[in-house]
Amino acid sequence: MNRSLLLQFTRQDLIDRHAGSSLGALWTLLLPLSQILIFSLVFSKVMGMKLQAMGMGPASEYSYSIYLIAGLLPWLAFANTVNRCVGVYQEKASLISKVQLSLLRLPLYIPLTESILYLIGMGFFAAFLLVIDFPFNWTWLWLPLLMAMVMLLAFTLGLAGAVLNVFIRDTREVIGLIVQIAFWATPIVYVADMIDSSWHWLFEGNPMFHLISAIRLVLIEGQAPPLMPLLIIALGSLVLLALTRYVGKRLERDIRDFI
Amino acid sequence: MIRVTELHKGFRLYQKPSDRLREIILRRPYHRRFEALKGISFTVPAGQTLGVIGQNGAGKSTLLKILSGVLLPDQGQVDMQGRVTGLLELGTGFDGALTGRANILNNGLLIGMSAEEIRQHEDSIIEFAELGRFIDEPLRTYSSGMMMRLGFAIAIHANPACFLVDEALSVGDGHFQQKCMKRIREFRDQGGSIIFVSHDLNAIKQICDRAIVLDDGHVAFDGDTEGAVNTYNRIMARLDGDPEAVAEQGQRHEFGSREAEIIDARILGEHGVAKSVATGEPVRIQVTLQGHQPTQSLSLGFMIRDRFGQDIFGTNSHYLEHDFELAPGQQQVLEFALPMNLAAGKYTVTLALHSEQHHLEHCYHWVDNHIRFEVAGSRVPAFAGVAALTTTISTISTEGNAT
Repeated sequence: MNRSLLLQFTRQDLIDRHAGSSLGALWTLLLPLSQILIFSLVFSKVMGMKLQAMGMGPASEYSYSIYLIAGLLPWLAFANTVNRCVGVYQEKASLISKVQLSLLRLPLYIPLTESILYLIGMGFFAAFLLVIDFPFNWTWLWLPLLMAMVMLLAFTLGLAGAVLNVFIRDTREVIGLIVQIAFWATPIVYVADMIDSSWHWLFEGNPMFHLISAIRLVLIEGQAPPLMPLLIIALGSLVLLALTRYVGKRLERDIRDFI
Repeated sequence: MIRVTELHKGFRLYQKPSDRLREIILRRPYHRRFEALKGISFTVPAGQTLGVIGQNGAGKSTLLKILSGVLLPDQGQVDMQGRVTGLLELGTGFDGALTGRANILNNGLLIGMSAEEIRQHEDSIIEFAELGRFIDEPLRTYSSGMMMRLGFAIAIHANPACFLVDEALSVGDGHFQQKCMKRIREFRDQGGSIIFVSHDLNAIKQICDRAIVLDDGHVAFDGDTEGAVNTYNRIMARLDGDPEAVAEQGQRHEFGSREAEIIDARILGEHGVAKSVATGEPVRIQVTLQGHQPTQSLSLGFMIRDRFGQDIFGTNSHYLEHDFELAPGQQQVLEFALPMNLAAGKYTVTLALHSEQHHLEHCYHWVDNHIRFEVAGSRVPAFAGVAALTTTISTISTEGNAT
């Protein structure tokens, strides 16, 4: 699995997939955009007041949208990566059974695609922030690192799910469901403080809560994130990835037989 | 150069894939085992073409999949220098919505070419595929022949150390096939190895330098193509009792008043009973007759038909002026000897026992398609058509001075 093939898969994913439609590659951007719009419209009325009461930022008119988008963009990248990685062997079965492809590196094109989409989304978002005179802060430079951690976590979970999915075909649906639940269990459209503090243990154990909180912290409030949880998450992801790769290698023969 | 050593591959057959996990966790087997390859070893030196034959289920596909790297063996090794390209799945990953040009990149990368190589060869791929201006049209507008040509053109430009070829070679029209064969010969002359898997015994004899016969996961024979084809036929003969094999033979239609009967018939090549003979080989058709009731002068005839049921050649003992009689209770073996001057292909022999020269007068026993045989390989100079009419050529005169 060389670099040009990886790039080709990514390209297919971003552009070629929509080759037949008249809007073409625009669709890849339109779908997440519509999601942001829907959440903004539906929730800004409900949530706007709450946030203002919390004394957020100077751009109060947009404060909910900013809060939402800052969290929703990384979540979409995370969720799509996990969901799509889990089904990757099923989706690419026709290729895997015909040409030699590295099973463990094949899914890499998915985090790559999703990162590019995030980058584009983030570009628009940053432009929007600058237009509304939101203060630029050097803490924004934390973003690439934090996003890399989000993608590492997503890829690791996705790959583990993909291997499991070869043996238990329900994995894909179950993980889809879990990701759906996790979306609502993570403060993305709502604020953590709105939830009774007796439930906060739920957030503490959720790596995406820490990552998204850190992203908001550096993006909106201009503060450096707390390092301890990040360190634990990075280490945990790496250990899980190494474990998944080990198991994946051991089971490669079976995976190929089953595909 | 490819060296395959002691290749073993078994498939564990599970009711469902999750049983594999149950097995790991509970440490108890939940599968039936099916051994597809039981210790396969062979070598293909550079510039050689190896044929692989074997009945269905003998392990050919599994071997191909291991060689192309999509399956991993349980034991054993495949050593080769350079990459291997299969002409098995032409056009893997083709996308109908994209243009031919975009698909060249796509497919080329998948079969292991680098982006650089593809750019380099793009023009010659397009030229080889004879697609002209269609190359910038979406693939879904292509005919299936065009798609195959494009797939083949890409594969053949991948320039691997070894090609894996199966029946896929029969793509496109005659003109394109010849072009492909020419290209494959060039590839071989430059030191490339080819592994050719086929049921077409004639193609094996013509293309391959050597052949192996797979039988039930073993190499049953490794040597010259002639011997391989004979081994293969012996294996197939062993299966004749199989309901499947019988079904393949189709129905044997027979009728007659049965005062005398054809009880057995076989074709003998130079090396004895054969299912496959070469063009030009002297063959004998032996027929065993049994008399039951008194009959008058008999005539035994045969008709060779091709796979379309077309009469190719037939004669009978009356035409050949060989009179014979058969008393009740007697058994007799008659033998026709003839050179098998027919083109490669599958043929059947229909036999008839009748009175006098014409079966319409009185037919004792008629058996349609009693013997099936194949003509493969050739001992005569190449020719076109169905019949090999012995031809010589000589120069009678040359006039004028050479300048």
